[in-house]
Amino acid sequence: MSQTNPAVEKLRAQFEGAIQAESEFRGETTVTLRPQDLVAVARFLRDDPELRFNHLSNLTAVDWSKYPGHAAKERFSTVYQLLSTRSGQRLTLKVPAPSSDSPIVPSLTGLWPGANWPEREVYDLMGVKFDGHPDLRRILLPFNWPNHPLRKEIPRGGETVPFSMTWEDEEFASFGKQIVEAKAVPQVPPKQADANKHMILNMGPHHPATHGVLRVVVELDGERVVAAYPDLGYLHSGFEKQGESIRYKDFTLYTDRADYVSSMCTNLSYSLAVEKLMGVDIPRRAQVIRVIMAELQRLASHLLWLGTSVLDSAGVSHALLMYCFREREQILDILELVSGARLTTTYIRPGGVWRDVPPSFVERVQDVLDAFPKRIDEYERMVTHNPVWKSRTIGIGKLTQAQALAMSVTGPALRATGLAFDYRKTRPYSGYEAYDFEIPTATDGDLFARYLCRVAEMRQSLRIIEQALKNLPDGPVWTADRKMSLPPRQELDTSMEALIHHFKLNTEGFVPPVGEVYECAESPRGETGFYLVSDGTANPYRLHFRTPSFVNLQATDLMARGGFIADLVLIIGSVDITLGDVDR
Amino acid sequence: MDYIRDFFINFAHSWTTWISGGLPGWAVTVVNFLLGGLILVMMPVIATLALTWMERKVIGRIQNRLGPNRVGPWGIFQAIADAVKMLIKEDIIPDRADRPVFNLAPILIFVGAAMLWAVIPFGRRMIGQDLNIGALYVVAIGSITTVAVLMAGWASNNKFALIGAFRVVAQLLSYEIPMVLSIGVVVLVVGSMRMGTIVESQWVPFCLVLPVAFITYVLAAIAETGRAPFDLLEADSEIVAGYFVEYSGLKFGWFYIAEYGNLMAVSAITTTLFLGGWRGPFAGAAPVLGPLYFIIKTVLVIFVLMWIRGTLPRFRIDQMLAFAWKVLVPAALVNLLWVAAALKLPVPQAVQYAVMLVGNLAILGVTLTLLGQSAKQHAKRHGLAGA
Amino acid sequence: MLSQYAFIGVFAIVAFALPIIGLLMAWLLRPKKPNPAKNSTYECGVETIGDTWVQFKAQYYLYALIFVVFDVEAAFVFPWAVAYNKLGVYALVEMVLFVAILLGGLLYAWRKQALDWH
Repeated sequence: MSQTNPAVEKLRAQFEGAIQAESEFRGETTVTLRPQDLVAVARFLRDDPELRFNHLSNLTAVDWSKYPGHAAKERFSTVYQLLSTRSGQRLTLKVPAPSSDSPIVPSLTGLWPGANWPEREVYDLMGVKFDGHPDLRRILLPFNWPNHPLRKEIPRGGETVPFSMTWEDEEFASFGKQIVEAKAVPQVPPKQADANKHMILNMGPHHPATHGVLRVVVELDGERVVAAYPDLGYLHSGFEKQGESIRYKDFTLYTDRADYVSSMCTNLSYSLAVEKLMGVDIPRRAQVIRVIMAELQRLASHLLWLGTSVLDSAGVSHALLMYCFREREQILDILELVSGARLTTTYIRPGGVWRDVPPSFVERVQDVLDAFPKRIDEYERMVTHNPVWKSRTIGIGKLTQAQALAMSVTGPALRATGLAFDYRKTRPYSGYEAYDFEIPTATDGDLFARYLCRVAEMRQSLRIIEQALKNLPDGPVWTADRKMSLPPRQELDTSMEALIHHFKLNTEGFVPPVGEVYECAESPRGETGFYLVSDGTANPYRLHFRTPSFVNLQATDLMARGGFIADLVLIIGSVDITLGDVDR
Repeated sequence: MDYIRDFFINFAHSWTTWISGGLPGWAVTVVNFLLGGLILVMMPVIATLALTWMERKVIGRIQNRLGPNRVGPWGIFQAIADAVKMLIKEDIIPDRADRPVFNLAPILIFVGAAMLWAVIPFGRRMIGQDLNIGALYVVAIGSITTVAVLMAGWASNNKFALIGAFRVVAQLLSYEIPMVLSIGVVVLVVGSMRMGTIVESQWVPFCLVLPVAFITYVLAAIAETGRAPFDLLEADSEIVAGYFVEYSGLKFGWFYIAEYGNLMAVSAITTTLFLGGWRGPFAGAAPVLGPLYFIIKTVLVIFVLMWIRGTLPRFRIDQMLAFAWKVLVPAALVNLLWVAAALKLPVPQAVQYAVMLVGNLAILGVTLTLLGQSAKQHAKRHGLAGA
Repeated sequence: MLSQYAFIGVFAIVAFALPIIGLLMAWLLRPKKPNPAKNSTYECGVETIGDTWVQFKAQYYLYALIFVVFDVEAAFVFPWAVAYNKLGVYALVEMVLFVAILLGGLLYAWRKQALDWH
């Protein structure tokens, strides 16, 4: 085993015998650890002044029971992706869970409180328990769900759902009765809540300010928020389980539906992950188009955020929402122009982009570039210097840099605490290193800082688009690598191999080599990452979807405590969640 | 021609003469009272029909939209369609609600909104009843709203409604003080609480003499009607709709009507107290113009309120109450004293008014400076001075 | 004089009658299909947890208390304002004292942070 990674060297020196195995795939180092050493190793990695892997990007687990050549080993292992925000280095830790019936590994919540929800998610979907977790409950599925669906023996679909909604069902005919019965399950206040002294209020799932079917159980003392307990899963649709049974290229569709207001960016992260797994290169033109589309999408997403955020603070009558929608419409028209869809684009796909952009594309994007700076100035005049907006946002929902890192918060919310951490700069992808742009930061970590960051990011996105549009090269938009691209038509007439290859690619799809990768991109909300495990077939063996909304939402409680209800609404807004992205 | 010049009054006279032909004196009074009452009671309903349409159009234009344009030309029958919908919509009373109180609240809130109209002068001698305590009556009737809203919020047995109701207590009560004080200033200058007299004595609109009282009144009025940026009692993004979240059908409709009736009423009162009511060019020669001027001014005030609604984010409860008690109340009190002192100056009225104006502008200047400083301090405390 | 208030009385009756008539009309026209689900309390689609009428924060009432003081004062301001022109300079002095006491009270409440939200 060749030894290059200095972090692993250091680990070997520090913890003798802790490292069971070490592997390298596509430039990423994976270290397999004994469970008992996990916390110590993670603490060392986090605190060592040279390494400083201070960001827990991703936490998930894999069920290896159907993996080829894995029969004798531990069935489950948890996987941790650590990142150093300073150097951009990534290290993957893998911890096999000892017992296969009730697997248990130590919890990392002591080091990163942000590991709380991801660990609950792993417990919920995979059934791996975490020793030392403060609140190990199901998070996405109902508390009485009968199984842990991501385990390999659980079939996809065909579960008995605890209620039915068919017209043959008598109960459905008397709909009210059914609801009443469903409601007969008594609602319990969260464990920590003091229901005698405080009012326990359900905000959501049907509430105008939760931006979807998010439920936040709020404990109130008058107008003050004592605590806010988000309750997720109302939109959970099992994307990860579904991903295991369809081909890599088909899953692109699902990525649209997760973060439906920035589908291009999610498409991009997924494509990057698959391409990394395949080891293919993407032609320049496709990369530049990807950058343009991703930045346009970022603009659209931030516009939507700005509009709804002001909506949260002002009610439906405020003018800004419609202004933002007007501008967003202009961008959605471009998305429609290139992909045929406004929301669920599936335009950026593993291998390149779907089709080359139409001829009017450049002109249309140029229109956006011409119109937007003035429009953003207009919003700033309406909002940035508005005393009411300032008094509502300055000093509210504060998050310090240390807290943000501990909670694994990424995106504008992290940058608003003063850390210029952006994957476009830290680990450039799609040629972002070639563009001249800045990472806007603010120091305060409050709502106003987040607002300023996002507005500044919109301006930076325009800068990037402008440069990309100027230097849009000619050429193909799909990879030339035969692993993923169809042979040209004329070759089919002469070459039997080409014909077979064509047939195989179309029927089976492309087949990546055995291995596992984690790759992420900077979406408007933060780090959108994909962890893919390939067993050498055309379907992913395991597909984990690290979404920024899910992880960032965790910090709501921290930010909302001690504030007012009105602040809570703005705080939820400032996290900028998409419920599809939270629940998946 | 003379008949036309003062059409409404002359018409009323002819009407009274006509019916007194066949009826005894007391019956004429009763019939007239009933008719007058009926016309005035319809004012909130008419206001709702007109203002919902206007608001949708105005807010629509502010938001770069067209607003309603399907029901009738320019969508003017939209409000009527909504009214019909409310009338035939199922009425849902939650099982856990306190039924009698729940049912009484919408009636009471409408009564509060309607009763205000008794003392609003639409034109010279065109007033339901020119009470000698008109200004106080306005304040007193205005408080009924508070009670009704609290009843609605409490009786719904709903947490959002209850929070809304509590906010009402804090907000409406707090803003009643600056409102009362600014009305008091006007009464002080005029020396009478009669609404008619208040209009008659405004040879120059009081908003030009007493800008502090005017601004205080308008702000307090926005708060009392619960409109943005003071719409905390029904903040849709926080407590959904606040106190009337459980109401549906026509019961909700009465809340809605009361809201717009109150909006129209406070605008009409603003017009009466500060904008010279029905006064205007040639109104003396042709009193029939009076109501026209009155309505134009009122609609202008309403337009400004809608404009504010489309522009400003909502305040938070603590900011809003602090604003009432720490800014409006002291300013209104100081203003009261200054005006009282100015009235004791042994100089002609015009000079007294000038003195009042100077003092008002000074108060305004000092208040705004202090507000700006405190905002700066707030920003500084959070290290955003240069952001 | 009395007839003025008679009008207000008649007006109040009409004002009460209109919404009641309206509600009766709606009662005749509207459908009535209640069911337990429909009639349950709205709380964003889930069953409410705990009691609504809990012991509630006293902060709201603090404002009500201060209000009572000031409202009584407002009731004094009106007759004083109406009669002001007929009274001498002592009316001004009196009101200055009165308002000073009130402002003192307001400042006290301010200092005690009764005007801030806790």
